[in-house]
Amino acid sequence: MNIIGPDALVFGVDDIDACATYLTAYGLNPASVDAKGGRFEALDGTAIVIRRRGDPSLPPPLESGSMMRLIVYGVADRATVQAVGDELARDRQVQRLADGGIEAVDDHGFPLRFQVTNRRPLDLPGERINAPGAPAQRGVNHIGVWQDMPAKPRTLSHVVCFVPDIAAAEQFYVNRLGFKVTDRLGNAGPFLRPAGTQDHHTLFFIQTPPHMKGCEHFAFHMGGPTELMLAGTRFLKAGYQSFWGPGRHKFGSNWFWYFNSPLGCHVEYDADMDLHDDEWTPREAPMSPEASQAFLFEHREKWAPGGPPPPGAGKPGH
Amino acid sequence: MAEILCRFDELRDGEARGLGPFDGSGAKAFIVRRHGRLFAYWDACPHYGDTPMAWRTNAYLNAAGDRIVCASHGAEFEIETGRCVVGAALGKSLTPAPIEATQEGAVVFNR
Repeated sequence: MNIIGPDALVFGVDDIDACATYLTAYGLNPASVDAKGGRFEALDGTAIVIRRRGDPSLPPPLESGSMMRLIVYGVADRATVQAVGDELARDRQVQRLADGGIEAVDDHGFPLRFQVTNRRPLDLPGERINAPGAPAQRGVNHIGVWQDMPAKPRTLSHVVCFVPDIAAAEQFYVNRLGFKVTDRLGNAGPFLRPAGTQDHHTLFFIQTPPHMKGCEHFAFHMGGPTELMLAGTRFLKAGYQSFWGPGRHKFGSNWFWYFNSPLGCHVEYDADMDLHDDEWTPREAPMSPEASQAFLFEHREKWAPGGPPPPGAGKPGH
Repeated sequence: MAEILCRFDELRDGEARGLGPFDGSGAKAFIVRRHGRLFAYWDACPHYGDTPMAWRTNAYLNAAGDRIVCASHGAEFEIETGRCVVGAALGKSLTPAPIEATQEGAVVFNR
């Protein structure tokens, strides 16, 4: 099934103003915002949508109180929407929407919508590096970074959920929707790639008790590690709370930087994720700090080496 | 020895403020004023035990200002007791910090 990945995540939140401020500062474009909520878009139109917690247009909340209320999957074409609808209608209720999309719940009760993707194609350069021994990616007299360099989220990359039953979660997405397991972290869960993308994962599960069921984090892809570091540094300087990072994950190789948020989950900047196809053999490692990252940094204020001027500096004759 | 942090009347009712770090440990705390009383806890969600709770400087409360919310996973805590009532830290409680308001109206950290 040609599912590409999440087009949007819909949240029912406690504090619309706080979430709108937060998502805008994170770098998403407030495409439409009013007192009922708003839509906050990455460069390709993938989005986070916020509504009030009690908004009757939202699917009912999970019993855990998680604020994530709907995952909207973009798929390649109408035939895929139809195929997903037919598959899920075998054992559950499928709601067919006026716009051609469908809605159903997964085996943990997470509401899902499938639609023909509304992503806008991106035509932007990625981060270019120069390395001895390799042809220069950035030409002569092209600089790699400047303080005001644009660093905007490009596309919604992945969502990670806490679930009590990892096996059930994996089976549903693999057997019913055609996702592939790219790698596994033991005692946590599988990294899952739908058929319509080569990204290492658009979905990951972490096993927890039922009262934690819900969204752990979502991530948007940046144009490279430098954009990730710039965006994260700006976010931090604006007073937002870093949770984990910056660093680089092992499985997926993606750079990461996670922040707390008023959406009841972490929000991540990510960059430079591995691509895979069906030839890939999944790896497995027990979940641990060592397995989870190649390296991890903590931010500190800018600093520069230096010392006092030598004696006599600045006097005539020097 | 008590270290004066701020004045109690600087805080509006239903307002929170992050404080610290204390003792060079990096440990931070936060205070909440509610119904004229001061409550103080270490800024560490009991879900993981040592992770910061605000989503932005001083942003520790829900929109109504009647619950503490951890901005990691949305766990909600009673302001008066620190007890988690919904979410990832269910069954656990925040740890009170040794911060109090004096009769003279100062908010102090008691070492």
